Amino acid sequence: MATTATITLTSADIAGDPVNVSKTATCTKAGATTDLDQSTGLQRVHLRSTANKVLLAANAEGNDLAAKVYIINKATDPTLYLTITINAQTIGKLYAGDWMFIPWSQTDTAANIEVAATNHTAGTGDIPVEYALFHEDTDFLTNA
Amino acid sequence: MPTTNATIALSSDITDNALSVTNTTTLNTAGTTVGLDAMTSVTKVLSSTNQVDLITTGTVSTTHAYVYINNPSTDNTEFFKITIGAAGGGSPTDTEEIGRLYGGDWMWFPWDVDDDICITPSVATDMTVEFQVFS
Repeated sequence: MATTATITLTSADIAGDPVNVSKTATCTKAGATTDLDQSTGLQRVHLRSTANKVLLAANAEGNDLAAKVYIINKATDPTLYLTITINAQTIGKLYAGDWMFIPWSQTDTAANIEVAATNHTAGTGDIPVEYALFHEDTDFLTNA
Repeated sequence: MPTTNATIALSSDITDNALSVTNTTTLNTAGTTVGLDAMTSVTKVLSSTNQVDLITTGTVSTTHAYVYINNPSTDNTEFFKITIGAAGGGSPTDTEEIGRLYGGDWMWFPWDVDDDICITPSVATDMTVEFQVFS
């Protein structure tokens, strides 16, 4: 029941020598070699709100347990971005095509992962967002 | 301008129908198709459980960057707490914990360069952290 995530960073010309970094992580329970065993699966929403919307609701039971979050902005207009926040702390902006993969601590129930289509207008169309959560714990009904 | 690509290959057989996702993004300046042109690549060894500033806003001259952090440890019990928050005022004072990066884990995220990214090792024995910032 394995979940693996591989990142590959490549550039032929951002430095004097080529950049080629590749790393695979096997997603396991906190401090263990046991695989994560729960997932939301891949989900898709269309975002048109310029205000923050809860994408993943934190559960304090998840604190100290392992959780990995994948989010991608599937828009094709390079100017359209999502603002990503955790507990009202802005992390960064995901522009069209950008993705992120992070561990998520859920330190308390306020540690929601929220997204906003900050520069959405009626003329820009919705921003499609795909995301998945892989996690552990026994009775965590994420986004239920 | 340089071309830098970040690819994720994600696979999981947790669910009955396996998940397999691959996506590549080209790293551009905010809202454009112009490639980022700066990169920092650092390896540090931390020898205490004190929180430290890992990546400060002053090291990046833009308001849009991408961050890769890797915990190369082979010990699954060792982790870094990764936090982000208000820089200054006696920084590191960051309090919003993003997540814990256990041995073998990596993370990749966009960074708005408003606040420092801090790190707290779980043990005081030497722990190595690797990071790259593209801006």
